[in-house]
Amino acid sequence: MDEWVVHQRIKIPFMYTAGRALTRFLEGLARGEIWATRCASCGRVYLPPLNFCGRCWRGIDRWCQLPPLGELISYTIIQRPLPEHPDRSPLILGLIRLDGADTNLVHLIGDVDPSEVERVTRVRAVWRDERPASILAISHFAPLT
Amino acid sequence: MTKKDDETQRVQYLLDIEYHYAAGELATRFFTELKEAGRIMGMRCSGCHRVYLPPRPVCGICYKELKDWVPLSDEGIIVGCTVVHLPFIDPMTGEQRPVPYGFAIIRLDGASTSIYHFVDETDEKKLRVGQRVKAVFREPRTGSLHHDIKYFRLVGK
Amino acid sequence: MPRRVAIISTGQTKHRAKRRDVNVRELITEAVTRALEEADIRMKDIDAVVIGNMEPFEGFLFPELWAVEGWGGYLKPSVKFNTGGTVGTTTAIAAYYYVASGIYDVVLAIGFEKQSEGHTQTAITTVGDPIWERAIMAGAVGNFAVMASTYIHDSGVTEEQAAKVAVKARRNACNNEYAHLQMPDITVEDVLKSRMLAYPVKLLDMCPQSDGACAVVFAEESRAKQLAPRPAWIKAVATAHEQQYMGDSPKRLAAMRSQVAASRRAYAYAGITNPRKELDVAEIYEVASFAELAMYENLGFCERGEGGKLIDAGVTEMTGELPVNPSGGVLSTNPIGATALIRVAEAALQVMGKAGKRQIDGVRTALATGYGGNAWTDVMILSRDL
Ligand SMILES: [Zn+2]
Ligand SMILES: [Zn+2]
Repeated sequence: MDEWVVHQRIKIPFMYTAGRALTRFLEGLARGEIWATRCASCGRVYLPPLNFCGRCWRGIDRWCQLPPLGELISYTIIQRPLPEHPDRSPLILGLIRLDGADTNLVHLIGDVDPSEVERVTRVRAVWRDERPASILAISHFAPLT
Repeated sequence: MTKKDDETQRVQYLLDIEYHYAAGELATRFFTELKEAGRIMGMRCSGCHRVYLPPRPVCGICYKELKDWVPLSDEGIIVGCTVVHLPFIDPMTGEQRPVPYGFAIIRLDGASTSIYHFVDETDEKKLRVGQRVKAVFREPRTGSLHHDIKYFRLVGK
Repeated sequence: MPRRVAIISTGQTKHRAKRRDVNVRELITEAVTRALEEADIRMKDIDAVVIGNMEPFEGFLFPELWAVEGWGGYLKPSVKFNTGGTVGTTTAIAAYYYVASGIYDVVLAIGFEKQSEGHTQTAITTVGDPIWERAIMAGAVGNFAVMASTYIHDSGVTEEQAAKVAVKARRNACNNEYAHLQMPDITVEDVLKSRMLAYPVKLLDMCPQSDGACAVVFAEESRAKQLAPRPAWIKAVATAHEQQYMGDSPKRLAAMRSQVAASRRAYAYAGITNPRKELDVAEIYEVASFAELAMYENLGFCERGEGGKLIDAGVTEMTGELPVNPSGGVLSTNPIGATALIRVAEAALQVMGKAGKRQIDGVRTALATGYGGNAWTDVMILSRDL
């Protein structure tokens, strides 16, 4: 007797509400600016910004603009990109600590061959010409030369 | 993107998950019988004598292993019924499910439990609990409950 | 012997159809902050957190992880539950177990849901078995419709009697500042004339879809006495499951086996022999108007087939012998992952004498129930007396 396997999908459309802090962040990106928040109690600078510090259990209302420059903390090379990724060629995902931030951002690393990325320490944001209110307003981060 | 003053950014996306559901040994036997012989089979508990449809490995009430297969009638009664008017997105397709459609909890003759199935009626005034129904098969059968049995028709209609 | 446990404070968000001003994390923080302020404690006073939510209503998995610092989870012992509609009561019962066991002294229970982000009926339909049920099932609305038709057939309950439940809920909700649907002028006629969703369930017979969160703080005896002037002591908890498929129970709603079993177990534990006389208020997970009437019977508030007469006689109105859902119930507010915890919170508020305009005089004993999963029932009984 063959095994009965049913091939199906679950497809549900969703709408994610970014909330107060992230909305201000996303609107900043559309203007080519990177905004973070600083907890008045522990001094941590959150990027992406949070309007509430869970460690201190208090609200955050101090905003600070960060430069589009930072350190490449770590990276991985994706040899087989997923359908969601922009194209089929290998891509580099980086963990980036912007100057002044206490948390890291994940973004694409570009303008560098995967074989060379090991040598990259400092990166800068490369903005798109048409900037959506999205993290994709930054096309990628490139080595700072 | 436009939004009201107290609203924040919203991002639209689609959750789309492909999966392969192994129906299991008992369902495989059930669907093989349905496909090859057009027969609906239940399983009888040796403890409480309940006849279960869908088949399952164990009677949850007696906690006895079920082993005996019994053929069931393709006729039965409506235990509960409705006509769905509410438009909603069918998670199996990501598209709107066509409405209205009638469906019922149907207890087949010989079974102790009931199953969900379509009924060939979208006028709720013509559906009632206790009414007799009969399965209408669709050929060729593929081994799917909701394909091979197209719907249940009201007996006497 | 379990330790004695009480609820010392609760917090809720303003529940609405769409909370587009906040994300999941900000929503949860709103409820948690209120619960902590109410007890005048800080997050460092919380020993452990239990959190409940029903995936995939937000469309991504583990929404609580995206929100962890917004509910106090950072470096704290915590566990997440997803048991469908019952998730809020499961979370409350888990918090009770944690404290009763002696492992933790003060435990925070949280439930949340942002229904507006997805499609509720679509997500609920995925609860149906993919080969036996899913192609037929039409969310909770379809399930309640077929169950209600059986109940109508068996008990002779009328659409008018069900409509009275829908009216009671939305009017009661006007006294609840957190409730989503407040309809002071709603009439039985409005309910009967509302749009048919799935016969016999009309739009106003059904609960809404809400965005909201609820937080409840549980504490052991000495901390409870120290932190709350009048804590709500937990007298009994019980849970019970139904069999797995939708058609397994001969009368899934009209004689819900899980609800009968769980409530009788809890009554026995709390020493209750006549629930209608001995309970002062009930906050039940009613989902649809017809369901509340059937639940009166299942919970032993009346005999079989008498649910309709109970609402006709006004027994469960605010001024009746046993008021049911002074908060407006699920029919007024339904952020699913929070809904059953709201039942517990509202029952606790009644016992603590903090229910404001919806307060029933002299409440000593209150019942809270959860319903969900596959006709799964949770029950909690709260009392003013230790
Ligand atoms: Zn801080
Ligand atoms: Zn048995």
